[in-house]
Amino acid sequence: MRRTALIAIPALTCTLLVSIACAVALGPTGISLGSLFASPNAWTIIWDVRLPRVIAAALVGCALAVAGTAMQGLFRNPMADPHIIGTSSGGALGATIAIVLFAGQGRPVFAFAGAMAATFAVYFIARKGGKIPVETLLLSGIALSTLLAALLSFLMYTAGQSLHQIMFWLMGGLWNVSWDDVFVALPVLLGCTGIYLFARDVNILSLNEEDATHLGVNVERLKQILLALSAFVAGIAVAVAGSIGFIGLITPHVMRLIVGPDHRLLFPAAALAGAILLVWSDTLTRTFTNDMPVGIITACFGAPFFIYLLRSRMKA
Amino acid sequence: MKPIEIIDVDVSYGAKKILEAITFHADAGEILGIVGPNGSGKTTLLKAMSRVVTRDSGEIRLDNRDLDTLGHRELARQVAVVPQDISIGFDYTVRDIVMMGRHPHIGRLASETLRDVEICDHAMHLANVAYLAGMSVHDISGGERQRVLIARALAQEPNILLLDEATSNLDVSHQVEILNIIRDLTGRITVVSVFHDLNLAAYYCDRLLLLKDRKVYATGTPEEVLTYENIRAIFQMETLVKPHPLTGKPYVLPVYTHQSNVGANRRVHVVCGGGTGSNILHLLHAADFTVTCGILNVMDTDYGTAMRLGLPCVAEPPFHGITPGSLADLRQRLDHADIIVVTTMPIGRGNLDNLRVLLDYPAKPILLYSGSSNSVMEDYTGGEAGAVLTGLEAHGALQVEGPEELLASLSQGHLKRE
Repeated sequence: MRRTALIAIPALTCTLLVSIACAVALGPTGISLGSLFASPNAWTIIWDVRLPRVIAAALVGCALAVAGTAMQGLFRNPMADPHIIGTSSGGALGATIAIVLFAGQGRPVFAFAGAMAATFAVYFIARKGGKIPVETLLLSGIALSTLLAALLSFLMYTAGQSLHQIMFWLMGGLWNVSWDDVFVALPVLLGCTGIYLFARDVNILSLNEEDATHLGVNVERLKQILLALSAFVAGIAVAVAGSIGFIGLITPHVMRLIVGPDHRLLFPAAALAGAILLVWSDTLTRTFTNDMPVGIITACFGAPFFIYLLRSRMKA
Repeated sequence: MKPIEIIDVDVSYGAKKILEAITFHADAGEILGIVGPNGSGKTTLLKAMSRVVTRDSGEIRLDNRDLDTLGHRELARQVAVVPQDISIGFDYTVRDIVMMGRHPHIGRLASETLRDVEICDHAMHLANVAYLAGMSVHDISGGERQRVLIARALAQEPNILLLDEATSNLDVSHQVEILNIIRDLTGRITVVSVFHDLNLAAYYCDRLLLLKDRKVYATGTPEEVLTYENIRAIFQMETLVKPHPLTGKPYVLPVYTHQSNVGANRRVHVVCGGGTGSNILHLLHAADFTVTCGILNVMDTDYGTAMRLGLPCVAEPPFHGITPGSLADLRQRLDHADIIVVTTMPIGRGNLDNLRVLLDYPAKPILLYSGSSNSVMEDYTGGEAGAVLTGLEAHGALQVEGPEELLASLSQGHLKRE
């Protein structure tokens, strides 16, 4: 265990709490501490608008980062994230169906169902003789995502007036998040805890599958559990906030550099860092950019960073 | 009760049979080596034992318990595997990797205890990697990484240790270092290891299992298994199998043959002795000459070589001079020979006739062969042998040095003496 690791978790926890406090204080409407008690309007903004939105951002960020970490461990590939198993494209299609066919009714439910269904479809396509080779899983994920993207394009083509709404949703954001959405997002913590219980197994799996078997890991069952739990938490994230890219890809990377590859530290570190990242991204967009979709912010920072990582890996 | 018993096991990958009717067992505390040519199923057999590969039929029993009834974690507490070499993608420390060996002993909700740390420390000490504990597995050498994997296997506290050519990618000093570590474990742990190198297997194993074409070809002690006949049958290769001069274990020396047809069945008689002719007997035989030799004493190394190569040889019993009968035999060989080769053998009264008789064949091409420039004929006859040699040279016998020059001279047609 690295020395940085010992302070990383408390430091990240403090940072998250401070971030949440700052994020609640910041916003397009300036609210001073004094006016908080004087004006009921200020109270409403803080309590019913900003706080649920910030908490939802933290939960969604946490979910994406933990699912990304799990996928990178499972695929033994630091370039993997929840997109790779069709979760995001499935969620996007589900939400789009709800918008086009049901005027947006039950959109989160459709998004979640789409995310889960796509992941299970990928799993069953890749499954042969009770085993899922990760290479096949990866390829079937890409294949299914392509198909879903085509269906999505078709729906958008026929969407007419709701096209604008679909576009917004696809770019990802946390508009109109209420306490209800926070309660919808809370099971994320359950899923992440579930994933954390398998941290030691993921450590061993990240070596090599055969080797993991020798060390007493039931590899195929571990894959099923990780896929199901990752799809569950990422599906909730997609249902609440649409498809927000790069949090699931970048956060595990950065945290691995800081706390090392041990998933018993990496999962909590990534969970906290993912929350911090999305809380700040969302605060940035609603305070300074007139509530632009937060997915644009994460992509703007994430993509160049991803390219940087790719280049430095190519050198190594 | 055997620690591991394999009973009539068949394994196939799809339609391809890999192992057929394999039956054997390992005794408690021994090192059992699995040897055989590439593709004979060695690694697959090991994988069947660690349940990475499922078998079509047959039974594998650990301490009399069916392998299939064991849970994943339970199996990992019984059987540890040291793989050939694994690339470790993430940047774990040596201690992290060794601690992974404790995984089957630690409950899902528990974390490692002081006892686990102690067991890891002990395992690292046994595998001589304690000094590397804090290093990243990316910053250590291949030999060190292999010892780390052994430490990890030991941290599992297994009854059975399976090694899949665990040292094959290492240079010989690291191979020996690792196998000595394994050897020191026996008595406590039963080891089954796939070996690529027959000589390492012969030295380190109590018993060997020789596989050929998916089946067990032989089992037994190294002396019983590594015989000249078995190795020729399995590897289709000529070898010398001798006791190692220091260890007494069988030692297999491959006989490197480079077949050619320079000889075109021409008859060569080789006059040699004291081991000076062994290499050229072999060389000429492989180059498609029809080789005869003698007169040799049956205790002579060259005689042994001739017998192994199946060459006709005029011979005398030990401590005997040359008898008139043998000399007549020799003359007959010389009459039939197209070329005569004489090596720089030691000459005494006992074998001087070998040389003297050549003076009677002034028309035959004779080559006086020396293995290198500093090998000269040892003359124990007080100058008589030297005089004969001078006589032969006066009649046109040619000096050649080294096997290449010998073959070059033989391949030229103009070996007629004037």
